[in-house]
Amino acid sequence: MLMGIDYFIIIAYMVGMMALGYYFKRFITSSDDYFMAGKSLPFWAIAMSLIVSDIGAVDFVGTAGQAYRYGIVVANFDWLGSVPGMIIAAFIFIPFYWRSGIYTIPEYLGRRYNQWAQLIASVTWIIFYTFGLGVTFWASGVMLNTLMGWPVWVSIIVTGAVVGFYTVSGGLSAVVMTDVVQMIIMFIGGGAMVFLGMNHVGGWEGLVDKVGAMGDQFSNHFELVLPSNTSTPYPWTGILFGLTFVMANAYWIGNQSIVQRCLAAKSEWHAKASLLLGAVLKMFIPILIIFPGLIAVVTNPGLENGDQAVPMLIRNFIPPGLLGLLFAAFFAALMSTIDSTLNSTATLWTNDIYRKYIKKDAPDKHYLNVGKITTVVILILSMTTSPITDTFPGIYVAIQTLLSFFQGPIFAVILMGMLWKRTTQWGGFFGLTGGILLALMLYTFKGSIFTIEDPFLYVSWWSFVGALIITYFITIFTTPWPLEKIKGLIYNVSDN
Amino acid sequence: MLNFDWANGISVETAKGIIIGLFVLMGVAVLFLPKKYIYAGVEDPHWYHNLKLWAIAALAIIAGTYLYF
Repeated sequence: MLMGIDYFIIIAYMVGMMALGYYFKRFITSSDDYFMAGKSLPFWAIAMSLIVSDIGAVDFVGTAGQAYRYGIVVANFDWLGSVPGMIIAAFIFIPFYWRSGIYTIPEYLGRRYNQWAQLIASVTWIIFYTFGLGVTFWASGVMLNTLMGWPVWVSIIVTGAVVGFYTVSGGLSAVVMTDVVQMIIMFIGGGAMVFLGMNHVGGWEGLVDKVGAMGDQFSNHFELVLPSNTSTPYPWTGILFGLTFVMANAYWIGNQSIVQRCLAAKSEWHAKASLLLGAVLKMFIPILIIFPGLIAVVTNPGLENGDQAVPMLIRNFIPPGLLGLLFAAFFAALMSTIDSTLNSTATLWTNDIYRKYIKKDAPDKHYLNVGKITTVVILILSMTTSPITDTFPGIYVAIQTLLSFFQGPIFAVILMGMLWKRTTQWGGFFGLTGGILLALMLYTFKGSIFTIEDPFLYVSWWSFVGALIITYFITIFTTPWPLEKIKGLIYNVSDN
Repeated sequence: MLNFDWANGISVETAKGIIIGLFVLMGVAVLFLPKKYIYAGVEDPHWYHNLKLWAIAALAIIAGTYLYF
């Protein structure tokens, strides 16, 4: 139950975020300032922003729930599934994007392939991001309702109003700088919960001993690598091929909301350094979101639903005052995800759709205003459509899963386009569309194709491979662009 | 094939070795990056601007983690 001190902390946090975001309004005089922070962001701010945006409020509960059920293998998503991808992005792809001066990933596809590839990629991102925001709002609202007793709509409106205020006021600078504070709050709030829980179970050794003594069901709870014929969704083959080789690279190299912040770095060095510092910070994330699930195995054995792990820890260990800080951490995780997605969606709409198809060559101020209006429209649209989530159970997981499938084909055509100058516009276009269709088909018929429980890692890998093959075969039968047209869009070691 | 059945004969220890080998391979590749590329965008380079050190640190932490578990 929340006490007065807890409400004070939460309200102080909200007001602080709005004030900080509003402070950056004075620096917004052009669309470049709004979408790209005037290319002025330092590496440490981008790194912290990337890490906190990657963790949603629902992840605090959902990932701990997965850890309760499957163990530490879930940490692969933050370790093997992030660190190598971030290093590859830092040294190969991000500097390349940064030098090319693009605003969006679809913009690269448009310049390298054709306007149709750009249009499909942009529209798909916009639709997924908008609906994704809606389901994130609702899922987080339901979670906060369960934990705090707040009506779902109160959480949605309060979060939407605060995020909308500072995102519209200060653009990407406000998004990133509020994320910095949000990451600190998330680490303090989440860290306090883990500290108290670990203390209760006798520290790390106590945790390992007690979980190990709970029977065969928990014998693999401290195994990071599981055999390929495991019945869990995390065989090492899926982790290595689907997660490490495809999903991680696709996320850190081809996801607009990630790449956009790196493109706003003040120099190429800052862009690279942001991802490398982020890779180090990423190593600590499982302590916040995995350990609570493992602790709950000891403190609350036999839970039917692993998602109850965090609520149980809160009930058992968190005193008043700290409770407010913990909920501020949940809000921080939620708001950092929403602000980044909101700003990226507005960037995609304004630059890839509005500026290209609706109103060309308008004054820069016009695009700045369109960006701000788009941010508000998307926010309202996602908030008002969020109850759809309640109508279709499982839509949260479905949207996240489908979004991840879309990233494999995008990564495939980015890779082919950058590394093979022969790749043609139609190779890229059909590779992208064919890869997405293949992912949808594999997901639809997963029950009759795959043997593991939830084969999203395999679907991701095979849709990536399918996109590569389609791109290759269409390319060899079609005519490539002249080299002058794609100069600066192909990776050339001698350029470095 | 779609279920990676061919990998069923590979032990967990070997799989872990493959994963740690990947980190080592990446570390070696990072060491070969040209100095000019590492410091691109820095006006007055110091040792802490050497991004190879940052990458090796990240890879050492993760390799140690996979060795432990």
